[in-house]
Amino acid sequence: MTTAQEHNGIGKDLIVYVCLLALAGVQFVIAYQNIDASQMLTRMLVVACVEAGLAALFFMHLWTEKRGFLLFVAVFTIAVLLGLQYGWTDSYRMVTGAPFSH
Amino acid sequence: MHDVAAHAAHHAPPTSFIRKHVFSLDHKVIGKQYYALALVAAFVGMFLSWFMRIHLAWNDTAIPGLQLLSKTGAPGGVMTPEYYLQLMTMHGTIMVFFVLTTAPFAAFGNYFLPIQVGAEDMPFPHFNMMSFWVTFVAFLVLMSSFILGDGPTLGGWTQYAPLNAVGSVAGPGQGLGVVLWATSIGLFCVGQLLGSLNFITTTLDLRVKGMSLMRLPLTAWAWFITSCMGLTAFAVLMPACILVILDHVAGTSFFVASNLVINDQVQPHSGGSTLLWQHLFWFFGHPEVYIAIVPGLGIVSHILITNMRKPMLSHRTLIYSMGALAVLSYMVYGHHMFVSGMNPFSSLAFSFPTLVITIPSTIVVLVQVFSLYGSKLRINSASLFSLGFISMFVAGGVSGFFLAQPSIDIMLHATYFVVGHFHMVMGVAAMFGIFAGTYFWFPKMTGRMMNETLGKAHFWLSFVGAYCIFMPFHYLGLAGNVRRYSSFVDDFLQPLIPVHRFITVAALLTGAAQLIFLYNLIHSRFWGKLAPNDNPWEATSLEWSTATPPPFDNFGGKHPVVYHDPYQYGVQSSVGDYVMQTSPEQVKTESDEQ
Amino acid sequence: MSQADLTIGHSTTQTLGPAFSIPTKKFAMWLFIIADTMTFAACLVVYGFLRNGTPNWPRPFHSITNVAIMTFILLTSSLTMLIGLRSARAGDKGAAFRWTMITAALGIVFAFLHIREWLELIDHGMTLLKNPWGTGLFGASFFSITGLHLTHVTCGIIALLVVGVRYKGGRYNADDIEVLGLYWHFVDLVWMFVVPLVYLLNLAH
Ligand code: HEM
Ligand SMILES: [Cu+2]
Repeated sequence: MTTAQEHNGIGKDLIVYVCLLALAGVQFVIAYQNIDASQMLTRMLVVACVEAGLAALFFMHLWTEKRGFLLFVAVFTIAVLLGLQYGWTDSYRMVTGAPFSH
Repeated sequence: MHDVAAHAAHHAPPTSFIRKHVFSLDHKVIGKQYYALALVAAFVGMFLSWFMRIHLAWNDTAIPGLQLLSKTGAPGGVMTPEYYLQLMTMHGTIMVFFVLTTAPFAAFGNYFLPIQVGAEDMPFPHFNMMSFWVTFVAFLVLMSSFILGDGPTLGGWTQYAPLNAVGSVAGPGQGLGVVLWATSIGLFCVGQLLGSLNFITTTLDLRVKGMSLMRLPLTAWAWFITSCMGLTAFAVLMPACILVILDHVAGTSFFVASNLVINDQVQPHSGGSTLLWQHLFWFFGHPEVYIAIVPGLGIVSHILITNMRKPMLSHRTLIYSMGALAVLSYMVYGHHMFVSGMNPFSSLAFSFPTLVITIPSTIVVLVQVFSLYGSKLRINSASLFSLGFISMFVAGGVSGFFLAQPSIDIMLHATYFVVGHFHMVMGVAAMFGIFAGTYFWFPKMTGRMMNETLGKAHFWLSFVGAYCIFMPFHYLGLAGNVRRYSSFVDDFLQPLIPVHRFITVAALLTGAAQLIFLYNLIHSRFWGKLAPNDNPWEATSLEWSTATPPPFDNFGGKHPVVYHDPYQYGVQSSVGDYVMQTSPEQVKTESDEQ
Repeated sequence: MSQADLTIGHSTTQTLGPAFSIPTKKFAMWLFIIADTMTFAACLVVYGFLRNGTPNWPRPFHSITNVAIMTFILLTSSLTMLIGLRSARAGDKGAAFRWTMITAALGIVFAFLHIREWLELIDHGMTLLKNPWGTGLFGASFFSITGLHLTHVTCGIIALLVVGVRYKGGRYNADDIEVLGLYWHFVDLVWMFVVPLVYLLNLAH
């Protein structure tokens, strides 16, 4: 679509692809680390978010769209996603009936 | 994907009856279809409310004919407590989804959004058609629960877990009834998602030359903001409905805790969480109430401006406030769960943004009221209903301030106070928005005027009636009258029965007044006075600059060009005290925001 | 620059043109993706909520081979999709068609591996209701999340075949391939969360 994209050719796609493969590999490594579940979750989520960011920016070309569009998509999605996170503390109450207690 | 082809073929109007009136791709026809659906739904919902009110006021009086609806639910015409709840659930579901969402948003939005931005149609007419028909099927599925199985579900429009998930053991309608409910609402979500997709792309992509964002009328802004909410809210309710269906049909237990005993039977389910359903539902539910009201805010502003003959004090403030409502509506949903056993810290976290959301609500109303101050408002049915909207929105919104605080809400939750709150702020206000829109746009949609005398009678009866019905609800709630009971036998409730009887009489009369509207609508459609011209209200926005009713491609093959802000009133031009957006005429105005 | 700018709206001089200079169909796909993100997020939140609140959540997976291969295939299919798009943009219709079909084929392999895995789990006695390792919620959430994803993959495969063939026939153009590509990459993106959350966190130790 845009000139930037055409100049870069397939090379950039390949680099991103390799990065994604590597990051996916990292996920599997984390899975075999000897750490507790919450730590594992944090690490995996961080890696997954980086992966998703790379995919959205480069595979889905958000990076070469207008900055306004990047902002529109990112802010819209992230804001609404955050709204969905209110419920977590109630998850703990399934086990103990009290907030924040294990 | 095939919409490109459709678009190319779009210049030629369809000729066959089916393509023209049934499976039409024309946004105007689809808008009218939505309106018709909402009209039918509104009357069904209203009749249900009559039955409920009669039962509440005269508990063992038979309602003639009710036994025909359900032999077991209303033996001899006297409804059982369960059947009361079943009717109540249908009333709420029909009204919230199939009236308050479809009419102001899908119906008027479909008809007028493309015209107001100057487009020939929406970008994806096939999706638009699907959106209506999916919604229609959703309505049929919901209605079918009246006759299938042991009737509709009794769980209320919020369908709380675990009763929505355990099946027939929880009462009549909790088996098949819930499945039909969840299927219907799941389908409804799909329909509204398709609609939102079209609305957003229409607003952003199809504007004609000169139509910058700030030149969009407030209605267009309202529909746009609403569709942004719809896009994400319905996308969460849909999987939630699917999970409920799984709990039912497959026996999973997403929403049912272990060792639950219902009606003396231990349930086989294990492990789920009832609160989880509430989180998902209200994540949708709170934005939904704004989906119901924001189009109304736009519609009444549009109408009031036209009749005040001057713009609102600040166009931008209204737009930003509506935007703020949309953003905040995703942060407040837990105010419905203060007494649900939710983490008390979350209550705090939800209470604060809930109080904050009263700020943009108040700003909108204040801008409207201060703009009205000193203006020479033209009084007609449309402007009266707009004033009624504001009145109801304020009266119902004030109770929101109290409910927003957990310490007070703990007393008031699950009483008629909440019922009073949302019926005024959402139910009646949004209905008044629909009425106002109908009286205002009817001449454009049909080429005929509605009868003003009947319209004003309709307004005064509805306005006074609505206050008579819903103001006492607040009193009842403060007196401790619980909601979702089918009879009030406790000692402390007995003295309140006269209030209930008053409300019931008011409800029957106010309901009957709606028949005036129905008569006016049908009579004017065929025999009403012909509209004097294409622009009977001397309005400025694009829908008034085209023929009546608008031709198939809205502007008869022409592309309008926009030269002005949407509301150039109180100026001196060759046609009068206004300039249309499409008129190249240059006039001096104070509010030129070039 | 391309005819992309002209797809919707009959002439750019009459309308303001699409927002963000993005063709309307592509914009609509992005909006769909935002909505779909919420749908998947809701499902993942349900899963996380229940998993966190359930003591002794089962961790039945012993081998990561299958899921690793699946991940590799899906990621690769995203790459082939990109190559297809590039060929289409360069006007090489034959190559664009071939790469689109290769993408579809990879999708089919992914779906095949996925279904085979499902069947194995079902063989081990795992259903939506119960499984040999612990709470029945495991099967319920596993099947619903991966099922939702698999549904997306299946729709994607069908769309790839249809769009590919019609592209070859001249009915669709490079823009359509791009729009479909967005969807396909999104399915891949979701998988990046499903793998760690649903598979790796439930690995036996
Ligand atoms: C001034 C801003 C508002 C505030 C602070 C507010 C606050 C609240 C609170 C705290 C509740 C929960 C009460 C309870 O269940 O115990 C509630 C219920 C409700 N509100 Fe509002 N509200 C506001 C405006 C609105 C608007 C504008 C609408 C609709 C257009 C609306 C519709 C509803 C509905 C439908 C319910 C009850 C749902 C149910 O339980 O069935 N509210 N409101
Ligand atoms: Cu609310």
